[in-house]
Amino acid sequence: MTFITKRQLAVTVAACLLAGAAQADTIRVGVIAPFSGPFAIWGQQFQQAIEVYQAEHGTEIGGHSIEFLYRDTGGVNPDQTRALAQELLIREGVDYLSGLVFTPNALAVAELATQSETPTVIMNAATSMITTQSDYFLRTGFTLWQVTVPMADWALAQGITTAVTAVTDYGPGIDAENAFRSAFEAGGGTVLDAIRMPIQTTDFAPFMQRVRDQAPAAVFGFLPAGPPTYAFTRAYNENGLREAGITFLGTGETDETTLEALGEPAMGLHTAYHYSAAHESEMNHAFTARLAEMFPGSVANLASVGAYDGAALIYHMVEVAGSDGPAAMQAAMGHAWESPRGPVSIDPATRHITQNVYIRMVDRDAEGRLINREIDTIEAVPDLGLSQ
Amino acid sequence: MKMLRSFIPDTLLIALAVGAFFAFPYDLAFLTRIVIMMIFVLSIDLILGLGGIVTLGQAAMYGTGAYAAGLFAVHVSNDPLLGLLAGMAAGAVIALMSGLLLMRAGGLTLIMLSIAVAQVLAEIANRARDWTGGADGMRGIRMGPILGQWRFDFIGQTGYIYCVVVLFVVLFALKGLKASPLGLMARGIHESPARMRAIGAPVYQRRLILYTIGGAIAGIAGALAAQITQLVSLEVFSFTLSAEAVIMLILGGAGRLYGAILGVLIFMVVHHLAASVDPINWLFLIGLMVLLVVFFLPKGLLSLPPALQRLIGGAR
Amino acid sequence: MTTLLSILVDGIAYGMILFMISVGLSVTMGLMRVINLAHGGFALIGGALAHALVTHGVNYWAGMGLAVLGTMLIALPMERGLYARIYRMGELQQVLATIGIAFMIIATVNYTLGSTLLPIPTPEGLRGSLDLGFRTLPYHRVAVIVAGLLVTLFLYLLIERTRFGIRLRAAVDHRATAATLGINTGRIFALTFMLGAGLAALGGILGAELLPIEAYYPLRYMVLFLVVVAVGGMGSITGSFVAALGLGTLDTASRYLAPEYGTIVFFVTMAVLLTLRPQGLLGKGRA
Repeated sequence: MTFITKRQLAVTVAACLLAGAAQADTIRVGVIAPFSGPFAIWGQQFQQAIEVYQAEHGTEIGGHSIEFLYRDTGGVNPDQTRALAQELLIREGVDYLSGLVFTPNALAVAELATQSETPTVIMNAATSMITTQSDYFLRTGFTLWQVTVPMADWALAQGITTAVTAVTDYGPGIDAENAFRSAFEAGGGTVLDAIRMPIQTTDFAPFMQRVRDQAPAAVFGFLPAGPPTYAFTRAYNENGLREAGITFLGTGETDETTLEALGEPAMGLHTAYHYSAAHESEMNHAFTARLAEMFPGSVANLASVGAYDGAALIYHMVEVAGSDGPAAMQAAMGHAWESPRGPVSIDPATRHITQNVYIRMVDRDAEGRLINREIDTIEAVPDLGLSQ
Repeated sequence: MKMLRSFIPDTLLIALAVGAFFAFPYDLAFLTRIVIMMIFVLSIDLILGLGGIVTLGQAAMYGTGAYAAGLFAVHVSNDPLLGLLAGMAAGAVIALMSGLLLMRAGGLTLIMLSIAVAQVLAEIANRARDWTGGADGMRGIRMGPILGQWRFDFIGQTGYIYCVVVLFVVLFALKGLKASPLGLMARGIHESPARMRAIGAPVYQRRLILYTIGGAIAGIAGALAAQITQLVSLEVFSFTLSAEAVIMLILGGAGRLYGAILGVLIFMVVHHLAASVDPINWLFLIGLMVLLVVFFLPKGLLSLPPALQRLIGGAR
Repeated sequence: MTTLLSILVDGIAYGMILFMISVGLSVTMGLMRVINLAHGGFALIGGALAHALVTHGVNYWAGMGLAVLGTMLIALPMERGLYARIYRMGELQQVLATIGIAFMIIATVNYTLGSTLLPIPTPEGLRGSLDLGFRTLPYHRVAVIVAGLLVTLFLYLLIERTRFGIRLRAAVDHRATAATLGINTGRIFALTFMLGAGLAALGGILGAELLPIEAYYPLRYMVLFLVVVAVGGMGSITGSFVAALGLGTLDTASRYLAPEYGTIVFFVTMAVLLTLRPQGLLGKGRA
């Protein structure tokens, strides 16, 4: 690989593109996410949250104006993601990258971010190892270990000592299974059975039956969002696990954008996560209210808060360091701020966000809408995956 | 004179490839993706356009090539050309092995079997996560310079030139193949398998050879993608990839190699533009485009100029 | 023993859902000789209509009926305008044209209703579970099993025992001859196509608890539907029935016994069956 620094690149670009000089004080941020296909909701949630942030904080900071550019990956597509990142860096001359929903897509950008010294704020991709792949990677989402370990600890604290894990048989699922098992067994619990469900599963009844037959105190599940989650929570109810007193433990299964669709069967499900749209704080109320006002019908979820805080972090870096990548990274280390999800900070060791993890239970609010009601808080949890 | 004329499209293509390099210096990454896709669709043109073998699972060979090139780079050597050979060989082996079964079938059965091969390979890649990285993708691919001379650069100049050269090598090889006895026989089998059987042609064997060569070329395309992106994800086996590639081929026109090139160019550019204007609804446009071509230009966009000529000629 | 019984119960329930959503495809693919990759599109249209109706307060059963009817009415102009020409195309052109149609249906639903899940709230009567003694079975699965049996009976009677069925079989066997005998083959085909679309919608709605309706439904489950029809043999209702129950049970068994290899077992079985019987289990003649 030829090593090209940001500065060399800037010279090349400036020499070729005279237009570049005219916009010297505009900092451009490239957001790479799916805006089409089955995962289009991610891009939409990102963009809306960023626009809310810009509506609240203006488009200028520290003498620079900030402009966001959005690019569509269509789904898991590292080839496309890398090409888009190159286009953004070379043609559009962006100073920051962000977005990135899927692990392979984030990994495809790693080398580019390092070579061009471009701070890259990952808003979702949740495998712990990602931030080790480039010194210019930061993350404002969560990792599976970060939310799963508190779930296991909380279950133990409730007197739950036996559990069965049921995860989708792919990278993130295995990650979640390992995280749950290690924390649960370290605390004295027993994992009776670890079920790995094929990624193409549409009927979850057999797995639920298998869980029920072993009569654990709880079942911990992890599945990709969307149709599988829907069918999984249905199967939990229909196979009588609820009546049998088997507690449902999960993480992102009760995502706000699909919660209403899950309907009544979702009531009472327990999950541990870093954000609930129903989080009780002035800041969150203001955020969700403005989101609903600017984009009628939209609800806040993990993608919204990941993007909102991603924007907050980028604003901070721009204010301190402008377009100077290494200085911006310095400014981000240890930076702490108040987010709609609660107090957060960037852990200098992992460049990942340290945040509260909330134990939530699905409930209805005053208007009868389904919400994730926070019932317990584990404060300032860092990423717990890398030490494993 | 005739000889010269047959080189006109190639000269034009080379001029286009060189022109694009200078006209779009900041879009080389996107152009490189188009070139790789052209190689992939050429592999389908060989088996479908020339051999009349309809499948929806060509991604099986593309994906195998990608993973083979990735594994080769990580564990054996980071030389790009050797990696390309590894991808090619892997694509050919998978095509040969699955072809032993597939080439006996036809119609819907063949389509379903080809889908099954790709799905099973995807599941194997997902399960062998120690080797492939599973759903996280295979990382750690770092390519050395081509022929020890040219390093892959940030802007993607080397990558583009590399892929364009491979494209032309594949294109000329396929042109040669088309004119060879095997190519002529393949055309005969396409038009009437029964007749070819009647004159004693080994239909099954010829189809298998064709399918294997197609697999090798798909493997090359996959290997290039792995080397350029330096990451391989499970999506290389996806049904969508196979289906979209066939759509691109029919869009341009099957059976004439240039149709594959034109189809990819138009599909990818329309997709790129439509997706940046209206990401939510570009799918409608693609669907409409496919319908229009199937209904009104069954031989693909390549047949548009002659069709227009006839129309204008007829009007006179 | 309990596991064996469980496999049987879950397998049949799952297989029946597979049957319900692919039988319409078997009808159009087998009888009209068209590889219809847009089949899931009609299930999606039905599901989306039912979602819109039921969430706006229409009774579940009435909503289901209206949605099936609505899908059939939408299918009619599509048959006249598009499919009537697609029947005569080669298989490759059929594949592409119907993928194009599927894309357009997906984009339309995505545009009007968004890309999130479109749930169809089940009525009180379908919630809860039936107690089988050794385990329970959700009521909506019982409903699907009953519906599947009724549909099979209905189709058998329709095709084998009615004038329409006789004319349909005649039109399928030899369209030109049937036409000279005064059978309006165009109308027969249109009606059959509407029937296929209606069955797709019905299956989509009844199966929605397992395969939830959302814009990308047609692409997500396209391969699954095709597998059932291909294994069963196109055009054979009984074949689809046997294949759906067989594959459903097999898939369920692998989930109970060896989930790690579920996907591979599923596709390898399909490949073996198709290699041994390229026309499908009960397929007849040219596919």
